[in-house]
Amino acid sequence: MKVQYKPKRNLLGTIFQVEILQGMALTLRKLFSPPITRQYPDEKPPMYAGFRGQHALVRDPVTQDSKCIGCMRCVTVCPSRCIRIRCQQDAKGKQKVESYSIEVLRCVFCGFCVEVCPVGAVTMTELFEYASYDRESLLFDKETLLKNWDRFLEESAHDENYVNPFWRPRGVPEASLAASQRMKVPADWTIEGQFIGTSLRQPQQNGAITHTEADHA
Amino acid sequence: MQILIILLQIAALLAIVLLHVAYTTYFERKIIGHMQVRMGPMLVGWHGLLQPIADGIKSFFKEDIIPEQADKPLFLAAPIICLVTMLASLAVLPFARGWVLADINIGLLFLFAMSSLASYGIILAGWASNSKYTFLGGMRSMAQVISYEIPMGLSLVGVMMLSGSLNLTEIVTAQGTSIFSIYLFPQIIGFFVFFIAMLAETNRVPFDLPEAETELVSGYLTEYSGMRYAMFFMAEYIGMMVMASIGTVCFLGGWNGPFEIPFFPPFWFILKVYGFLFLFIWIRATLPRYRYDQLMELGWKLLIPLALLNIFLTGLFKVFT
Repeated sequence: MKVQYKPKRNLLGTIFQVEILQGMALTLRKLFSPPITRQYPDEKPPMYAGFRGQHALVRDPVTQDSKCIGCMRCVTVCPSRCIRIRCQQDAKGKQKVESYSIEVLRCVFCGFCVEVCPVGAVTMTELFEYASYDRESLLFDKETLLKNWDRFLEESAHDENYVNPFWRPRGVPEASLAASQRMKVPADWTIEGQFIGTSLRQPQQNGAITHTEADHA
Repeated sequence: MQILIILLQIAALLAIVLLHVAYTTYFERKIIGHMQVRMGPMLVGWHGLLQPIADGIKSFFKEDIIPEQADKPLFLAAPIICLVTMLASLAVLPFARGWVLADINIGLLFLFAMSSLASYGIILAGWASNSKYTFLGGMRSMAQVISYEIPMGLSLVGVMMLSGSLNLTEIVTAQGTSIFSIYLFPQIIGFFVFFIAMLAETNRVPFDLPEAETELVSGYLTEYSGMRYAMFFMAEYIGMMVMASIGTVCFLGGWNGPFEIPFFPPFWFILKVYGFLFLFIWIRATLPRYRYDQLMELGWKLLIPLALLNIFLTGLFKVFT
């Protein structure tokens, strides 16, 4: 980067303090420009796809229960170890999830659990206002997580199919994705169509991944 | 009977000025907010219009904390000295022809005396609080006032020479009613020096070293709380208004305007003072603070020679016309 220096101030500029006047002109211009303040409790910020908000367990519309199969992948991948699952095998040898809890106060909101879930059971909603005065209410058990999902569906415009395509793990071939993650996504959400910044794009153009040009052509 | 009328006038002036102080703080926050692309106070009342009243009530009911190690009588007296001297200087300001509480012949000198006395309040506050931040703030205030009182006085000498009087009403009358005969044009150097010294005298940005928030917590008023803190604030804002009035009277032709407003002669005076106040706020929103040695250098090496040059030129002008 080349540093751009201002031309040296001449005597006339010093006498009339031109730089101060320029600064004053800027603030005066800004006085009449609309403020960028968002009056928060009245005006909510816009939500973008893949926002990592409150956790929820997707309620299966058929069984009215969680989709979780107790594979323990989320427990394993969780860097802050805030997920706890207890499973039991019933008489037929089928695994049944007894309890599922997320300790939100320890969660770092990395979203790994959502990415790794093979059935799309755990997800993160767009809700972010759930501050509380005690710790107990922030330890979400299975029932609370299911209720979080119901509340999210009720309050947002999303429907049952919201398990965010944004959570597709990157760079994994379509065939090796879990079935629930093989959903259609817009072109700019795929790894090829995504803008990742100039420094990362360079090797792509040199031949490592050439889908971008092919797609555009 | 005469005394009663004067008392009533004083009460009316006090009420009006204090109301102005309250709403100057509001407009300051609002204007600075919008200049920084924010909104400023928005919640108390419509667009925060009741904010200064809420602030006043709040500071009135807050606990008045006196530090254990403080020099109690001085600590208690300092804000009163500040406020009283500032209020006293309101007495000699001519708002319009005849609209003056005390039309004394040494009006300008009286104003200088009062604004110097007000800085005693600041110095005493810094000393009596017995805290390092207030002490540094007080020290800076002392140095600043001594340095800037001189160019300020000298810059107005030109005005005194041209009008031949220290009486503020006569200074305004001497400027005539035309917009081209105001002293701003013959005394442009004097006005420049006066304006910078005015900012320094009122401890405003870019010369707010006595209460530099970023380095001295709150400077000389760090240890104050509640109503006494508010008194310092009132003194500061009344000081701004008094300085703006001096500028209006001495350089901008006082209450004279392009045409006369019936029933409300001080209209142009008040408009000019508002202009000055806006300039104060505008500068505060724009400029960073001066470094201490730069402040001293500007005062002694630039403003005082400039003011002396102005006196010399005015003298030449008087001799040859």
